[in-house]
Amino acid sequence: MKTSAVFSAALSLVALVSPSAAKSTTALLTPPQVFKNTNLVHVISVEKNYVKENVNVLIENISKEPQDEYYLPFTADQVSRLGGVEVKDRKDASAGPFSTQTVELDPESDTLYLRIQLPTPLKAGVQQTLGITYYFLDAYKPLPASIKQDDIQFLAYSFSAYLPSAYATLKQKTEVKFPSSTIPDYTRLPGSGDVKEFPQKQGSKLTYGPFTEQPAGAVEPVQVRFEFNKPVTHISELQRDIEVSHWGGNVAFEERYTLYHHGANLSSLFNRVKWTQANYYNPTTHALKELKFPLRIGSADPYYTDVIGNVSTSRFRSNKREALLEIKPRYPIFGGWKYPFTIGWNSDAKNFVRATASGGYVLNVPFLEGPKQVEGVEYENVRVRVVLPEGAENVKYHTTIPEISITDASVVIHQTFLDTIGRTALIIKARNLVDDFRERELVVSYDLPLAARLRKPLVVFGSALVVFVSTWVLGSLDFSFSSKRK
Amino acid sequence: MDSSLHEVWQAASGRPFVPTIGKDSQFFVAFTLLLIGLLLSGAFALNRSFASIPVLGVPASLAIAFGVVYMFCAVGVYV
Repeated sequence: MKTSAVFSAALSLVALVSPSAAKSTTALLTPPQVFKNTNLVHVISVEKNYVKENVNVLIENISKEPQDEYYLPFTADQVSRLGGVEVKDRKDASAGPFSTQTVELDPESDTLYLRIQLPTPLKAGVQQTLGITYYFLDAYKPLPASIKQDDIQFLAYSFSAYLPSAYATLKQKTEVKFPSSTIPDYTRLPGSGDVKEFPQKQGSKLTYGPFTEQPAGAVEPVQVRFEFNKPVTHISELQRDIEVSHWGGNVAFEERYTLYHHGANLSSLFNRVKWTQANYYNPTTHALKELKFPLRIGSADPYYTDVIGNVSTSRFRSNKREALLEIKPRYPIFGGWKYPFTIGWNSDAKNFVRATASGGYVLNVPFLEGPKQVEGVEYENVRVRVVLPEGAENVKYHTTIPEISITDASVVIHQTFLDTIGRTALIIKARNLVDDFRERELVVSYDLPLAARLRKPLVVFGSALVVFVSTWVLGSLDFSFSSKRK
Repeated sequence: MDSSLHEVWQAASGRPFVPTIGKDSQFFVAFTLLLIGLLLSGAFALNRSFASIPVLGVPASLAIAFGVVYMFCAVGVYV
């Protein structure tokens, strides 16, 4: 009893001491103040059902040493929804996308950092213009949270009028682009200079700033509420299979979607009669009623199924100019509703597979080929599986999807029809992608030895031959009763 | 990730993969091969001798082997 009392007293003492200890370490666990942002333009686009942010910043190395690491802070919640980060030099397109990585400098802090690796260290006193693009998924809150079936949907988005930065910023402004000019509510801030109040509204654009010098870590929370009478399509899981067949000269695609509508819920029960009536006089709705998949020219044999079976409400236009698959879900999808479905199609291998000079093969397919909607589509988890022919080896891949979005890549064995050892399958998992990355390519190279190519017919040949030999052996055995005793 | 693969793809632009048997003729080839296999099997059944194995059994097995693979492809299961 006494011991436990002493122990708890010691614990409470530690608890009293630790906040100050944590504070002192936090100061050490922030990025070194080696840069300043001379000029920063932050463009937030809420035009689609995900948020696209573009930061153009003129950075200057204020230390005495060359520096090659620039940090951008995010909260842990933002990092879980952050995707598609790409950083480029605005003045030198040939420099290519810079390498980025999410790092945790202080384990006790909620702040994580995006570490941007500059390809060449920036010398002391020298400036460079960075163009940083990233996306936030699941960014909006419907306000009101539930509406009637024929009401107009409004979304709210919260952000900081100052870009949260690890460095002091001399001058900055934040522009917010909306899908329409109907922006009923937005936070107003006191202006500076000639401007009395921020933001300034020009059509479907709000501009906060320009702001004067702000210290590192400065934030100014603001919220905007805007009309978005379109579906907020969120795909929580996309499983995309690409199956290469050398015997059939075919590349088969299959995509399994788990789709949600993250917009405002219905405040009353769904009314089918009202829905049918509304379709005649008011075609704009916040419900999802159609998805369009522009496939590669030459795609054929499409199918569209869900948990019940084949869904007949689809149309496929295929000609020399396009291959457009239009599907209508079994029911209109309103806020909070879910619709899992599967689509698939075939294409000739010559459109995607080429033979290399070294005797191997190279496959080039789009990493994502999901729906192309005006309002955009966001993908939380994407798993692309490239099933190569049985016996394929020496598998290498390259994709133009931002490297930071790829969470895992592995080569496994996938067993299916007429396989003996199973087919080589490359599985790539990615997180937080949007439909802007449609058509980003995935290139896979592999070798296929002759023995592996002939494995399937050889196995059937062997089995058939065994049947013939067995028939002969069994046929030549004499099972008749001996006549010697007669 | 191997960033040189895009160049490999570009370099192979003149060599698209074309299968030995095109999609349009898969069913005909498969059906013919399976029919030959069936007929040879029938002939083997009528004359079950050791000599029939190389003369009838092996060609029948070969016809069935390639016929099965192409019939899988012809019905849409691209193996």
